[in-house]
Amino acid sequence: MSTPALALAVALLTILGYWIGRRRSFAVVANDTSKLHSRPTYHGFYVAIWCGIPAAFVFFFWVLFEGYLITDLVVAGLPESVVGGLSADRMNLVVNDILNLASGNIVATESDPMLRAAADHYIQLQSMSRVALVVLVLSLAVAGMGLSLRAVQPHNRVRNRVERVVQIFLIGSSTIAVFATIGIVLSVLFEAIRFFEAVPLSEFLFGLQWSPQMAIREDQVGSSGAFGAIPLFAGTLLISFIAMLVAVPVGLMSAIYLGEYASRKVRALVKPLLEVLAGIPTVVYGFFAALTVAPFIRDNGSLLGLDVSSESALAAGLVMGIMIIPFVSSLSDDVINAVPQAMRDGSEALGATRSETIKKVVIPAALPGIVGGILLAVSRAIGETMIVVMAAGLAANLTANPLEAVTTVTVQIVTLLVGDQEFDSPKTLAAFALGLMLFIVTLVLNVIALHVVRRYREQYE
Amino acid sequence: MNNRGGADMPVDTTQIIKRTLARRYRREARFRRMGLFAVVLGLAFLSLLLFSIVSKGYTAFWQTFVLMDVHLDAGVIDPEGTLDQEVMFAADYGGMIKASLRDTFPEVTQRREKRDLYRLVSSGAGFYLREEVLQNPDAIGKTIQIWVPADDDVDMLMKGHFDRDKPEEDRRIKDQQIAWVDRLVDQNRIELRFNTTFFTAGDSREPELAGIWAAVCGSFFTLVITLLLAFTMGVATAVYLEEFTPKNRWTDLIEVNINNLAAVPSIVYGLLGLAVFINFFGLPRSVPLVGGLVLALMTLPTIIIASRAALKSVPPSIRDAALGVGASKTEMVFHHVLPQAMPGMLTGTIIGMAQALGESAPLLMIGMVAFIADAPGGFTDPSTVLPVQIYLWADSPERAFVERTSAAIMILLAFLFSMNGLAVLLRKRFERRW
Amino acid sequence: MKRTVLLLALTLMVWAIQPASAASRDYITIVGSSTLYPFSTVVAEQFGRATRFKTPKIESTGSGGGMKLFCAGVGVEHPDITNSSRRIKKSELDSCHSNGVFHVVEVKVGYDGIAIANSKESTHMSLTRKDIFLALAKHVPKPDGSQTLVLNPHETWQDVNPTLPDLKIEVLGPPPTSGTRDAFVELAMEAGCEQIDWIKAMDDRDRKATCRTMREDGAYVEAGENDNLIVQKLESNPNALGIFGFSFLDQNADKVQGSLVDGVAPEFEEIASGAYPVSRSLYFYVKGAHVGSVPGIAEFLAEWAREGTWGDEGYLTDKGLIPMPAGERDEFAAAIRNLTNLKL
Repeated sequence: MSTPALALAVALLTILGYWIGRRRSFAVVANDTSKLHSRPTYHGFYVAIWCGIPAAFVFFFWVLFEGYLITDLVVAGLPESVVGGLSADRMNLVVNDILNLASGNIVATESDPMLRAAADHYIQLQSMSRVALVVLVLSLAVAGMGLSLRAVQPHNRVRNRVERVVQIFLIGSSTIAVFATIGIVLSVLFEAIRFFEAVPLSEFLFGLQWSPQMAIREDQVGSSGAFGAIPLFAGTLLISFIAMLVAVPVGLMSAIYLGEYASRKVRALVKPLLEVLAGIPTVVYGFFAALTVAPFIRDNGSLLGLDVSSESALAAGLVMGIMIIPFVSSLSDDVINAVPQAMRDGSEALGATRSETIKKVVIPAALPGIVGGILLAVSRAIGETMIVVMAAGLAANLTANPLEAVTTVTVQIVTLLVGDQEFDSPKTLAAFALGLMLFIVTLVLNVIALHVVRRYREQYE
Repeated sequence: MNNRGGADMPVDTTQIIKRTLARRYRREARFRRMGLFAVVLGLAFLSLLLFSIVSKGYTAFWQTFVLMDVHLDAGVIDPEGTLDQEVMFAADYGGMIKASLRDTFPEVTQRREKRDLYRLVSSGAGFYLREEVLQNPDAIGKTIQIWVPADDDVDMLMKGHFDRDKPEEDRRIKDQQIAWVDRLVDQNRIELRFNTTFFTAGDSREPELAGIWAAVCGSFFTLVITLLLAFTMGVATAVYLEEFTPKNRWTDLIEVNINNLAAVPSIVYGLLGLAVFINFFGLPRSVPLVGGLVLALMTLPTIIIASRAALKSVPPSIRDAALGVGASKTEMVFHHVLPQAMPGMLTGTIIGMAQALGESAPLLMIGMVAFIADAPGGFTDPSTVLPVQIYLWADSPERAFVERTSAAIMILLAFLFSMNGLAVLLRKRFERRW
Repeated sequence: MKRTVLLLALTLMVWAIQPASAASRDYITIVGSSTLYPFSTVVAEQFGRATRFKTPKIESTGSGGGMKLFCAGVGVEHPDITNSSRRIKKSELDSCHSNGVFHVVEVKVGYDGIAIANSKESTHMSLTRKDIFLALAKHVPKPDGSQTLVLNPHETWQDVNPTLPDLKIEVLGPPPTSGTRDAFVELAMEAGCEQIDWIKAMDDRDRKATCRTMREDGAYVEAGENDNLIVQKLESNPNALGIFGFSFLDQNADKVQGSLVDGVAPEFEEIASGAYPVSRSLYFYVKGAHVGSVPGIAEFLAEWAREGTWGDEGYLTDKGLIPMPAGERDEFAAAIRNLTNLKL
């Protein structure tokens, strides 16, 4: 029995458990469900949980560790002539040979009878393990079902137990975000510390110049390298700001139009169409920004007598704004749509026009959701790289002039990480420091946003 | 409101309303027009982008093929006459293609000219011939006619991407080669055919042999993982935070945390994936499983934030009513609140998945920005994804990759449309106005 | 419904996890430079089609990241080969050794020309390396001839050299993290810089700092590493020049023209003969311990070392790789056959 088939069998047994549990609960009270403490569905779930979860756990961990265990057994069974004096790394390569032999792949060396034997040993152990697994998992599932079916009694408080399981699942899910945060901090922290050993923290935090022109190769004496993060953060701010100037008005007005004025049919069609904007690959936006928008701005700028560089924050920001329109429009539309109709009716009954109702009643009521959407849009703008690289370049100028080239933190992180320079040089490590710094900055901004939103939120009903 | 002037000056509010009514209506109309304008603007951008993609890319669905008469020399293919697959596999099919070209243009004798001549057909033509022979071993010893793909330069010429009037040194393709192509056209030996290779092959450095199938499979496997994890975890988290926990510092912490995760640049998720899934858990590089996990973490905040906003917008009266008739809290949430919040959750999921579908930066760190010629068969085969394929092709020097890049983007959008279509249908089923 | 989704998720997870436990690998893994990527993939593809082995997996990670992965250790989870657009550093080789990677074979595959090009609609430029230095360096000798360095005051090409056209200096080129930029700085800027005698006479450190620092006032535009984009930007902006690899010039001969450098055009023969001064070597490094363990490495290396691959008329030349002279090819073919261990 192959792994997917076994998984399918467990799944089927679980569903079967649900039905049996449910039927049994009807049976024990002779269809008078009012005598049951918990509704029949809960009995079904209860049986399903007992049937599926222990089996799945065993299954999961068995499959996870089976390979290592069998490999260890096979290695232990290898004669000394093969193992003799091999380091762990080399052993790993020998094992690779054995595994390739066992799965019938082409192997590198002419097959050594010793390895052939080991491969056969591997196949044998594997099939044994498989049989054991199938027996164990299926019997666990059936046993779980049998035991839990006994619990289908009118007075048994099954519902509470099922809800407990659901709660545990929910709590577990909500901690993922915390774990992800810890993981991110840990995965950038150590390299960032190594960076700060080479470049003082104060220079990084307050330096006004970013110019990582450091030597790539060894025989080169390093030319200047300045690691001041301020121009990068200023550039990020500038580009995100321009993007929001496009995305917020267009997105919000679209949402209002779709939610309040457009007919159901138009809305059903236009909303998903706008959402496509978020899914167009950023390479396309990048080419659009660099080859259509940027020359357009440059040519018109020079007509007006402005000195516009070929790469400008404006081009990148405008196009990025287009990309994040759906973040504002769709999320706002949903919350606007969810504002109770009674509130609109009330306002209109008092003589307000549609637009007055929207401005005074609907938007305040929908504000938390709208702000959430805008925050998401800002986040996406900060994280975007391709458009900025292609349209605004990589030069870190400290300027507030949208017609000049700027660059963002994210762009620098990506460029530094995929560069040709030595990985352990301060130049690459700077990427980790920037990541950490950006993380801290957005954290602070989010804390502020939380307080602001809380202060201005309007509670309705 | 307006009678602050005092009792000596009675104000007729109806008058005031009538006076301001025209202005208010004008404002109303203006507001409405602004909304319409915003929608039209958004759609205009979309159609502009779509137009530029389609107009550049549609030609990639056709490919120039050349009809060749190839003599299948038994002495070369199967000298022993054993029909041994291994022997037949290793024969020099490229040489046979070259011989056939020499036969078609017997006047070409010089070494340099011959090199130019060989460049008319794809360097992969021999492999096409090999497939044909391996499938029909009976044909060995005979002369067969076979359509093989033309070289990308010839393909570009046939599609009109090269200007014949430009001086010779400004073109990739020489005058002599154009003359040969014209002769093939006269003999009806060259034609544009539907480019099935594009849909069935994996990546290749020869544009005429390159396809997106491997990337499509990779995207599919990756997104299955992403969708399952991000949707279940995202909705569960949102439900827990909105419905089950009291508002306190701990939930504030989680909330700020989640908002902050949304602002973490995607490549940092790549670093996380590298550190946690590959280095710590020892999962292999370049596989959809790890890609899916990383993208799931990346889309999780989007889904959570959208789902929480959706849950917040369900009127409290629904909850009160459900609890009032005796539902437990879990029942109230799962039977009444969740279905009402579903449209918003689906919107978050659509946008999140659209982002995951188009993202390539985090995959760089976990080895999915790679040249993969064979389509992956499962979650742990090395694979790449569509946006990466697009990025790699956009970075290729060969001119013929320009149209293929756009065509690949069209496939990606088709993927997106079908995913969105499904979600939109679901959203419509759940949507309701209060 | 939720229940079904969950079950499905679980099923798929289990299915997904399953083969991970058996960490076998029957294909070659290559990482490294994005410059070598287009050539390496052609060879890999040819190898995959012509033999029964699987097509190698080639990641484009950048030379530095590739080296880091390569040197992380011996074993199937580590790559077999890393591509590099520069030579391995001593410190990198040391880190290889300290992680148990003792046997590293160095293979040079050929040259990549770096072109300075502009749109066909614009004037065809003929630059000297000194012009390039004077136009692009951050600090240049004071134009009045005194032996002092000033911030680069040159606005147009004519300021640099009166014979050049009166065009604003605007050069699109790779960022400082790029190997292409590094090679350009060394081969064009530094060589041009050292033609000025009094700078040449400066002490090593100051000279290099002067010769190697690019100006940052907007005349040199750090574009990304997408060379196609640079070509298209040049097309839409006839005043600008761009710095990119020879293969892109070769493919876009109808749109852009390569400037002469020291009177030599960036053409195939000129680069191959060494007459064109701005070209750099490309390398890859093989993990000796993996040869014979991961299937196909020896055969893959043999595919590289064929004349039909990297020779004067090999298929890599069609893709824009400039072949090494025959003698050097023999040398590295021998290194491949003998798996010569690299010593630095």
